[in-house]
Amino acid sequence: MRDLTPALLLALAAPAPDAAEILRRADRALLGDSAAYVLRMSVVRPGKAERVVEMKGWKKGDTLGLVRYTAPAKERGTAYLRSGESTWLFLPSAQKVVRVGARQNFGGGDFSNADIFRLSLLRDYVPTLAGQETVEGQRCHRLELLARDRSVAYHRVVWWVRADGTFYPVRGEYYTLAGKKLKWLTLSEVTRLGGRARPTRLVMENAVETGARTVLEFLAIEDDVALDDRLFTPAALERGE
Amino acid sequence: MKAARAPALGAALALFGGSAAADDRREIQLGLENLYYRTAETALNRGNVLGLDPAEDLLRATGSWRERRGPLRLVARGYVEQRWGGRPRTDSAWRELFAQYDAGHLVSVRAGRQRLAWGSGFAWNPTSRAEAPKSPLNTSLDQPGADAVRLDFVPAAWGSLTLLAARADTAVGDLPFEAPARRRRTGAVRARALVRDTDVALVMAGGKGQRTLVGVDLARGLGGGAAAHLEAATYLGAEMPPARDEARFTRVAAGVLWPRGEAQTLALEYFYNGEGYAPRARDVWLTEVEGAARAAADPALPSDLRARALATYVAAATVPYAGGLGLRRHYLHASWTRAAPGAAWTASTRAVIGLEDGGLALTPGLGWSPRGNLTLQLDAILLLGPPDAEYRLAPVRTAVQLRARALF
Repeated sequence: MRDLTPALLLALAAPAPDAAEILRRADRALLGDSAAYVLRMSVVRPGKAERVVEMKGWKKGDTLGLVRYTAPAKERGTAYLRSGESTWLFLPSAQKVVRVGARQNFGGGDFSNADIFRLSLLRDYVPTLAGQETVEGQRCHRLELLARDRSVAYHRVVWWVRADGTFYPVRGEYYTLAGKKLKWLTLSEVTRLGGRARPTRLVMENAVETGARTVLEFLAIEDDVALDDRLFTPAALERGE
Repeated sequence: MKAARAPALGAALALFGGSAAADDRREIQLGLENLYYRTAETALNRGNVLGLDPAEDLLRATGSWRERRGPLRLVARGYVEQRWGGRPRTDSAWRELFAQYDAGHLVSVRAGRQRLAWGSGFAWNPTSRAEAPKSPLNTSLDQPGADAVRLDFVPAAWGSLTLLAARADTAVGDLPFEAPARRRRTGAVRARALVRDTDVALVMAGGKGQRTLVGVDLARGLGGGAAAHLEAATYLGAEMPPARDEARFTRVAAGVLWPRGEAQTLALEYFYNGEGYAPRARDVWLTEVEGAARAAADPALPSDLRARALATYVAAATVPYAGGLGLRRHYLHASWTRAAPGAAWTASTRAVIGLEDGGLALTPGLGWSPRGNLTLQLDAILLLGPPDAEYRLAPVRTAVQLRARALF
C-alpha cells in the first residue's frame, strides 16, 4: 500500500464512472463544448492520387457545427453546416445553400457528414460498459453503443476509451443493422493543442475497400470560443461568414 | 509533421483572434472563357433575323476580386468579351459589384449588383424572379446579378427575414444573340425558418414590369443521404404573352438530391410551369411567329408595317429566353455529378427534358484541375429531340464552352 500514490488512492476511492459518464468525457476529450479548429483531410485510395483538403471548423454544444474549406483554392468557400438533424452544403460557385443528408460521405472520404459533425455520441447512442481491453497498447474501457433511433448513421458502434483517467478515445468500430462492420476509426498522436493534450490524428479505414482510408489531422484547436448560434444558420452561409 | 503544424497553428490562432468566423481575406480569380456556338436558321430565326453566323464565338477575359475586412465585404466580378461571327464587337459587363456590411450576426446589408440565388430549386426557382432566370440550355451558366439593396435580419438562429429592392434586366445571359430584356423593378420579402428540421420560407414579391407572386419554399433531409425540396409560387396574370390578366398561375419545382457512392450526386427535379403553352396554344404562338416573319419579309408591304412585323417577330421568337422559365408546362431536370473535393478530375451530365414535346438539352461536362488553384472546365450543349420541340426551335444547335480559371 505504501507504494500507491495519493492520486491513485483517490482514483481507487472514487466510484467507477458509468458508461454514460465515460462517453460524455470521451466526447469532450477531443473538442471542448464550443471550439474552433483547423483540420487537414487526406483521402487515400489504392492506385489513385491522394486528395488533400484543409478546412476550418466551429462547433457549439451538441447540435451546432460548421466546416468551411480553405484549401486547395478551387474548393475555397465550400461549407457544410449542421444544426440538430439538419445538414446544409454551401456552394460558392452557385452562391447557393443546398440541403444534404447527414449520412452522405463528407468530401468523398470515409467519414460521413454525421462523423465530422459527431458532436455527441452520447446524444445519438445508448452506451453500455462491456469491460476493459487493451487496444493500441492502451488499457481501455470497451463501450457498446446502440443507436437511439434509426436516423443515426450507424446502428451499432464499439468505442474504446482510455481507462487511465484521460478518457481519450482510442478506437471505434461502426456496424450496420445487419451486423456488418463498415469501417473503423483509430485516434492517435496525443499532442498538446489549444492548451491541453488530446488525440490529434484520426484515421478512418474502410472495411469494404482494402487500403482505403481517410486521415483527419487537427492543426489548431481553440476551446471555449464564444460563438453566436446565428453563425450556424443558412443565412450566415449565404452572407459568406 | 509536428514541425509543420507550428506556423499553421499560429496563423489559425491569429485568425481566431477576431470575429469567430469572418476572418479578413482576399481572393482573386482570373479566367478565360470561350463559348462557341453552332447556329442555324430555325422557326425562331427566320431570315436570320438574329444576324447569326453559323459559328458564333464569345471569347471572354474574366476577373473576380473578393475582399473581407472585418464587417465589410467587397465583391467585383466581371468580364470583357469579344464577339466573333455575325456582328463582331467588344462588350464588358459586371456580373457582380457590391458592398456588404455585417452588423454582428443580427443585420447584414448588401448593395450593388449581386446574385440573389434564393430558393431551393436546382434548375428553376419559381420564387426568385428578381434576377435573370437560368439558361434553359445550360443551367450551370454563370448568370448576371441584379442591381439591388438587400437587407438580411437574423433575430434568432431558427429564423431570418430578407428585404429586397432590385432592378434587373431579366433576360437569359450567355446566348449568342440579344434576347430582349424585360426591365423589372422588384420589391420582395422572404421569411425563412427552421421548423422540425425542415427549411420553410415564405416569399412575396412584386413591382413594375412583373406579376405579384406569393411563394413557398420547403426543403429537408430524407433518410440516408438524400434531401428533398419543393418550391412553388402563384400569381395573377401571365408573364408570357398573351397576358391572361384574370387567370391565376402556379409554378412548382420539386426534386431530390441523392448522393451515390464516394463522390457522385444524382439530382432530379420536376418543374411545372402553369402558364406554359399547351399544345394548341403553342401552335397558335408558332403560327403568329411564322406570320410575323412572313410579313416582315414581304416586299409588298409598306416599310413601317414590315418594321412593326419584325418587332413582333423578334418579341415572339425570343419568348423562351425573355425572362420566361420555359415555353411549355412540364419539364424534368436530371443531373449526375462526380466531384470529390481535392480531386483532379470532375465529370457531370445535365439534362433538361421537355416532357410534352420530347425536347432535350443535354450538357455533358468535364473538369480538370492540374493544380489546386487552376481549373479547366469543358462543357458541351446538345439540343436534341423532335424537329418541332422547344429546344430544336432555338437557333442554337450545339455549343462548346471552355473555361479556364486561376485562383489566388
